[in-house]
Amino acid sequence: MRFQLDVQLNGQMYVYSIAFDYPPGFKELRVFEERLAVDDKMVFSRDKAQVHLATKSPEKEAKFMIDWHLAALPIVQEQAPQDPLFIFRQWLARTVILRPIPSLIKGNSEQETLHPSIDGTDFGAWFSGLLKYAPAAYGKIDTYLKQVMPDIDDIKNPVIGKESRSLEVQFSNKLGSVTIPFADLSDGEKCFMICAMVLATNDSYGPLVCFWDEPDNHLALSEVGHFVTSLRQGFQSGGQFITTSHNPEAIRRFSEENTLVLHRRSHLEPTNVRPLSDIQINGELVSALIRGDVEPYER
Amino acid sequence: MSVNRHQPRVFVLPEDDANRQMANGFTLHWSLIPRRMQVLEEAGGWLQVLERFKTDQVVGMSQFADRFVILLIDFDGREDRIQEVRAEIPEPLRNRVFVLGTLTQPEELRQALGTYETIGLAMAKDCQEGTNATWSHRLLSHNAVELDRLRSQVSPFLFRETPL
Repeated sequence: MRFQLDVQLNGQMYVYSIAFDYPPGFKELRVFEERLAVDDKMVFSRDKAQVHLATKSPEKEAKFMIDWHLAALPIVQEQAPQDPLFIFRQWLARTVILRPIPSLIKGNSEQETLHPSIDGTDFGAWFSGLLKYAPAAYGKIDTYLKQVMPDIDDIKNPVIGKESRSLEVQFSNKLGSVTIPFADLSDGEKCFMICAMVLATNDSYGPLVCFWDEPDNHLALSEVGHFVTSLRQGFQSGGQFITTSHNPEAIRRFSEENTLVLHRRSHLEPTNVRPLSDIQINGELVSALIRGDVEPYER
Repeated sequence: MSVNRHQPRVFVLPEDDANRQMANGFTLHWSLIPRRMQVLEEAGGWLQVLERFKTDQVVGMSQFADRFVILLIDFDGREDRIQEVRAEIPEPLRNRVFVLGTLTQPEELRQALGTYETIGLAMAKDCQEGTNATWSHRLLSHNAVELDRLRSQVSPFLFRETPL
């Protein structure tokens, strides 16, 4: 099993790969190969337990042994912030992967983070962490949310215990004002909040890569297109937004050069990935998807 | 939450997939307010665009005075198609309907200017900045009159002046 990331950062091509095997008698996977290269120049390579570090003088080889169940990437020490290892790791650390489960997101927090969990349950900690890191991010969050929910007035994060806080959202219009605990927002409204945070995060400490699994879940059909467009637009000036979807409206908000079709014949075969532009589509795309006529395999 | 139907909005009715992708590119410009523009499903031909307009849009446009529609079609080499299309639009709505498109086929435009999204993005940039770098292309310049109307009526609510 092999994974590879090809990333262009500051005009340089970073290629990181890691491969696992499962030898007879082993109880878990073993790393049998790992490497990081920048513009084809090796930063480190690893063959099973043996790690080789690139040095300025080729005759002085630096190497050490590592547990073959551990990845070397987080262990190898960088020399300076200009070190390719530092740049790549920082980029990787800023990746935001989201598959939110809104009903589990309560808005409570006891700490701060800049690295939200996949299910979004630490939203409160993420909100606190982002505003502590970049207080001006609130302006971006507020501007986006006011477009979606014009009656939103304020987001508060009051202390509710010795070391804990709980988000609440205030709405107001000519009829009056109401404050709603974050936990009581609808699933769709929580997704708008996450969207606002993603846009503000990319703006504040990006560029980041955001992968969001089915962002259209929980949204009204009339909202899906605007939601996806806002995210795509927010990443036009830097960073990368990647999403998966089965929703026709979300699919239509992308084009042939930035759509990949994923398909798996069976649970025993790997997922096949092909650019939409390489696939012959007869008629309208969504209609072809509904008919099951988008065949991602080479004929 | 649902969209506020009283807010000014533009619906784009694309003829085909190529036009839909160009409209996608248009919506990606940083200054465009996403909620002010909705790109709809491709109709499958310019006559179908017209049919879809009549069945889906006429009632809504009559109800909501701030609703606008762009019919995004291929002219197939016939500049006079615009008169043919506009003649089918009910007179009270005609001022809020815009007929735009490539003089021949979008594929020809793509060969000259890049991907459909790139072209759409450049079109939005022109609209927002008041320039004609892309719209002056020989396959797009026939849209000048409609584009002027679009700029004066739609641009004021479609674009923001500062980034989000």
